Amino acid sequence: MLLSIKDLFVTYGAIEALHGISFDGEEGGIVTLIGANGAGKSTTLWSIVRQIKEMGGKVDSGSMEFKGEDLSKYSPHDVVNKLGITLVPEGRRVFSNMSVLENLKIAAFGRKDKEDVAQDLERVFGIFPRLEERKSQLADLLSGGELQMLAVGRSLMNRGSLMLLDEPSMGLAPILVQELFGNLATINKEGSTILLVEQNAHLALRYTTKAYVLETGTITLSGSSEEVGKNPEVKKAYLGG
Amino acid sequence: MDFAKFFQYIASGTAYTVGVTLIALPFGLVLGLILSLMHVYGGKFLSRIMAVYSTIMRGIPPIVLLFILYFMVSGNINLSPFWAGSISLGIVSSAYQMEIIRGALLSVSGSQMMAARSIGMSRMQAIRHIIIPQALRLAIPPWSNEAAIVIKDSSLVYALGVPEVLRRAQLISASTQEPFLAYITAGLIYFALVFITNRLLNRLEKRLAIPANP
Amino acid sequence: MKHRNALLLVILLALALTACQKTSDNLVVGTSADYPPYEYVDEAGNMAGFDIELMAEIAKRMDVKIEWQDMPFDSLIQAVQEGKIDASISCFNYSEERAQLVDFSDPYHTSEDAFIAMKDFTKKFTKAEDAANYKLGVQSGTMQDEWITEELIETGLMSESNLSRYERVDQAALDLKAGRIDILMADDVPAGVIASQDDDLEIIYKEMLYTGPINIVLPKGSADLQAEINRIIAELKAEGFIEKLAIKYFYE
Repeated sequence: MLLSIKDLFVTYGAIEALHGISFDGEEGGIVTLIGANGAGKSTTLWSIVRQIKEMGGKVDSGSMEFKGEDLSKYSPHDVVNKLGITLVPEGRRVFSNMSVLENLKIAAFGRKDKEDVAQDLERVFGIFPRLEERKSQLADLLSGGELQMLAVGRSLMNRGSLMLLDEPSMGLAPILVQELFGNLATINKEGSTILLVEQNAHLALRYTTKAYVLETGTITLSGSSEEVGKNPEVKKAYLGG
Repeated sequence: MDFAKFFQYIASGTAYTVGVTLIALPFGLVLGLILSLMHVYGGKFLSRIMAVYSTIMRGIPPIVLLFILYFMVSGNINLSPFWAGSISLGIVSSAYQMEIIRGALLSVSGSQMMAARSIGMSRMQAIRHIIIPQALRLAIPPWSNEAAIVIKDSSLVYALGVPEVLRRAQLISASTQEPFLAYITAGLIYFALVFITNRLLNRLEKRLAIPANP
Repeated sequence: MKHRNALLLVILLALALTACQKTSDNLVVGTSADYPPYEYVDEAGNMAGFDIELMAEIAKRMDVKIEWQDMPFDSLIQAVQEGKIDASISCFNYSEERAQLVDFSDPYHTSEDAFIAMKDFTKKFTKAEDAANYKLGVQSGTMQDEWITEELIETGLMSESNLSRYERVDQAALDLKAGRIDILMADDVPAGVIASQDDDLEIIYKEMLYTGPINIVLPKGSADLQAEINRIIAELKAEGFIEKLAIKYFYE
């Protein structure tokens, strides 16, 4: 298993957000955690990338392993730099006062392999041609879809082996969502494992292989995305009938 | 009266005016940047100290601070009036520059810090590579204003005996009884310096700005 | 490249300006060169005046190089006290307050107080205290300022709101012409210069009040320097040097 989460308990002060969740991510897979707002999806991602403390939360118990390594031994930046786990945060957080190109280049700030960086940049522009068209534009002035592309592209520049995405479809027009998820499929095919957190279950189940349903801090259902999509409870709660 | 010599005498103070500004402004910038970082990222205790520093420094007229710093602080160090005056003005300006940069840091911060962490930067790296560059870019327009103020405040070092433009205008007006001509000359020199500086900073701002529609 | 040039400029400028810093074998003398004919800058921008020439001669006889440091009159005493300058010559009268802060040399010249008014001034002015009845102007920090404060304001003869204090005498003269003050009180020598340069103004009254002998100001505890300067002042008096200098600056 590439990623293995067991019995994870997370609290924000007196409030328990995750009540012992367990799930796995297979190498090369594309996994989704679906659930309503407040179910604990983002909390899970922040715990994995070790940024839960900055969010005011705390991992109380449970284990998180990546390639057999205990994640709790890594600092937030080593999670990215040493383990290659990258988070594309919710809300398309890019560096708004920098150009598109600067945003991409700065993501490779720690890398010395200049030629490979240039290649990766080509790759990002290959996947997202719109970003190349707008590379010298201020990131602040991009459209919502372009911002999400930039956030994903930036995380690609880290050469991660596991990409975590927090609500990438939020606030995007359907056509852009289609385009973006098509791009994610390409990225997955090229070798990155993807863990996707989504409120839009319909979409998430269509593009992923494995799914977990998270309800108020507990995993209530898991299985292949196809199976999960057929479950009557899930249909009723998330797929509009 | 020899007018050429009259103007030349006042104008030769420009080197001091420019010199004082070129020391005070960068000195205040470096100090202001450090203080603003302590203010924003240094935790509650440091933040409070910085707030007090800022309030005190900005609440006292620059000329008063100049005398205090020159006569008290540098009492034991043998600094020339030029250096003591320049550094004192730099300290005065640091409080204002701290506020300018602090405002810019706060307007960048927040989500940018999170974005930086998500690409694998440590807190320090995020501040250095993400927050500061963006904040400084945002700070240029208010900073140009402060630059103009420092140029004008540089006239205050006359009180310490630096023969800059204003002091020279005073001296020549005392010996020639031509105060209006002397002060108009000094005024024009200050105006020209502020004008040129603003132009240069505008150009810098445009060069650093990222075009909306390239 | 451009940045490097700017940096170089700063460094060069700094070096150029520090080149004239205080060094051990120079005598750094402070003055407020805005008080002709005692001290002022000439057209070439050099220090000139009675005090300047006298001090230069004293330094010559002491076999030291003099380094002039101009600063506003108000800053001089403190600069001497703090050791920023070695001595100050700037038409200083002796006073007990000042003597608590600094030492004085023997007097090298004696001056009087003068009251200047517009030529068309016709009101009563027969003794110094009559000044209390008019709007007065004075250079701040001078003995005249002290006299007005102690003898006119603190005694209740006049209200402080009728007194304007100026950083320099020439500013006061402008306000006198503009009618913002009626009388300007100053040392009689600079007062004479102002009255002679301006046809509208004249000295209407003179008396030795708080002024009188003028001295060189020295830091506390500089007995050796004081003794040497006193010896040279006595020498210059005996030779008639100071008298010649006074004629050159005050009466020609």
